[in-house]
Amino acid sequence: MRKVLPALTAAVLLAATGCAGSDAGSSGPIVVGSVNALSGAATFPESSQAAKAVFDAANAAGGVNGRRIDYKAIDDKGDPSAAAAAAREVVGGDSAVALVGSSSLIECEINEKYYEQQKILSMPGIGVDPACFSSANIAPVNVGPFHDMTLTLLYGTEVLKLDDVCALLEIAGNTLPAYQAAIGEWTKITGKKLKYVDSTVPYGGSDYTPYIVKARAAGCKAITVNPVEPDSIGQLKAAQAQGWTDVTWLLLTSVYSENYAKAISNAGAGVYVPAEFYPFTDATAPANQEWRDLMTKNKIPLTSFSQGGYLAAKYFLAVLREMKGDITRETVTKALREMKPISDPMVGTPYVFGPAQAHHDNTAGWPIKLATGTNKWELSARDWLRIPKP
Amino acid sequence: MLQGALAGLAAGGLYAVLAVCLTLMSRLVRVVNFAQSATGMFGCYVAVFLSVHLGFPEWLATLAGILLGGALSAVLGWIVSTWLAEADTGTRSAVTVAVLLLLISLAFILFGNKPQPFHPLLAGPAFTLGGVVVSQVTVVTVALAVLVALGCRAVLARTSLGVRLRALSERPTTAELLGIPARPLSVGVWTATGVIATLAVSIVAPSQSNDPTSLAMLVVPAAAAALLGGFRRLDLAVTGGLVLGMAQGAVAQADKLSVLRYFLPFLVIVALLLWTQRKEVWDAAR
Repeated sequence: MRKVLPALTAAVLLAATGCAGSDAGSSGPIVVGSVNALSGAATFPESSQAAKAVFDAANAAGGVNGRRIDYKAIDDKGDPSAAAAAAREVVGGDSAVALVGSSSLIECEINEKYYEQQKILSMPGIGVDPACFSSANIAPVNVGPFHDMTLTLLYGTEVLKLDDVCALLEIAGNTLPAYQAAIGEWTKITGKKLKYVDSTVPYGGSDYTPYIVKARAAGCKAITVNPVEPDSIGQLKAAQAQGWTDVTWLLLTSVYSENYAKAISNAGAGVYVPAEFYPFTDATAPANQEWRDLMTKNKIPLTSFSQGGYLAAKYFLAVLREMKGDITRETVTKALREMKPISDPMVGTPYVFGPAQAHHDNTAGWPIKLATGTNKWELSARDWLRIPKP
Repeated sequence: MLQGALAGLAAGGLYAVLAVCLTLMSRLVRVVNFAQSATGMFGCYVAVFLSVHLGFPEWLATLAGILLGGALSAVLGWIVSTWLAEADTGTRSAVTVAVLLLLISLAFILFGNKPQPFHPLLAGPAFTLGGVVVSQVTVVTVALAVLVALGCRAVLARTSLGVRLRALSERPTTAELLGIPARPLSVGVWTATGVIATLAVSIVAPSQSNDPTSLAMLVVPAAAAALLGGFRRLDLAVTGGLVLGMAQGAVAQADKLSVLRYFLPFLVIVALLLWTQRKEVWDAAR
């Protein structure tokens, strides 16, 4: 009996895995994954929630060619080892065909090599770290912080005609060269130079007064920063305490939220941000109508993050619906590589995965503004601001 | 450099107030209270919640927050003085580390990790000195630190309450046998420092980054400042706080030194510990 038991167990296991294998074939659900910061100090849950809402709606309407989509959003806790484990769980364990709608501070950098090995493609809703925009297998839907910085500088100097622009850069990990390249791109287009760059500004600092005093003494009239919300609030308040109220802030989409607007009472000469998607605070815009309805129905916060996740899922579904034959990781990868560009009124640049070795094609932002005392974001342009092609 | 030093004075004032609280706690109730700024942070967050979500007037919400900070500290003090009355300082202090972590997590759970709309109690510049604007917040925090230190010294030296507190800190058992009510007095010290810390954090929080972690971790530079006075001398605690804040501000002015800014409190702690412990090590080695 002792010898029979292990053999029996092995047989049962084999049968079970055999069944699982056939499930993932042409009739079972299509597994789609994502790796997200769902817990930890900085979380972005809305992107994968929005992607899930899109897939749920598609499943309710009969799925893709009769097959439903099984969407798995795994938490990376903002932790490198958890991010690596999350990718392995969904790609290796669940045999996902692709990753859609991820949003994480670190995931791209940790997992890019693994995705290359596994020949799986990822369409993050929100790409943050430089690796999201330099890998052959990752193509984020959003503009990203680096093009964002070029855009905000272009708006400041070319539209607002500001001189004496300075940069306070909060550098985490290996992001400094990417921001320097973004500033370099602006210099190449405009022929202008920043008055002063301070790349020693810390994330999560408690008091930013010394940095503000230094920038003011250097004669800056406008400051571009790549902040997270609490840091930016601290910086604006430090400037206010110093009585420096005529400085213009050229910030990134990272601060574009209702919460931020409510927390800011004195925005100096204005906070300007290039929104990466059509501004969600414009409640009546037809461009956002479908997204707004779906998010409201599913009680998902209206943020840039949920716009990114929504678009990633929508693009992915469009590609999936065009596919003929079996839907596997291999065929999905092929279809994404060969897809035609998709345009959407929510973004200024068409989306395409394509065969490129790096994906940084979204180059348009919609300028918006937060003025002192308004506590509200307003549109400050009638069309997308685009980075000119070289 | 001078500009930077003046710019760091607001932070220095806050460190000094918290350092005075830490010193009082250490002297009078034998605890290094790691939750000192966390109770302040929690009181502030509750105040913001009351004013934004329940429509309390701001002064009332702030007052409620400050009282809550005091109450939280009192509860903690009651627990420590009831169950850990005979424990050594290390054990009593370890409890406060747990409370620090608990309050940070609780703040994230209750209020989320998005920034809160703190309303400034004081805003704008007070006066200009050497080309740097000194803000109202700076003036008030520095004044608060000095006043609290002077007030505590006067109470301890000149009142009968002060005599009882000192007796309790020097010879707890003897004092108790003489009929000095140990537990109520200890809880009173906890409450007072809780109120003072919450007041200081309430003044400063709206003017800086105010997520739960950075506010709760203000205890690190404050501890460095308190260490200068050996957790016993109030004047040196105030000096330590102000000097540390100014040094951080000055260091931030030079690009190459700027990274040092956030390590300064740790460097100060290590240097002071090495200096104060040198004899023990040498004596042991002999």
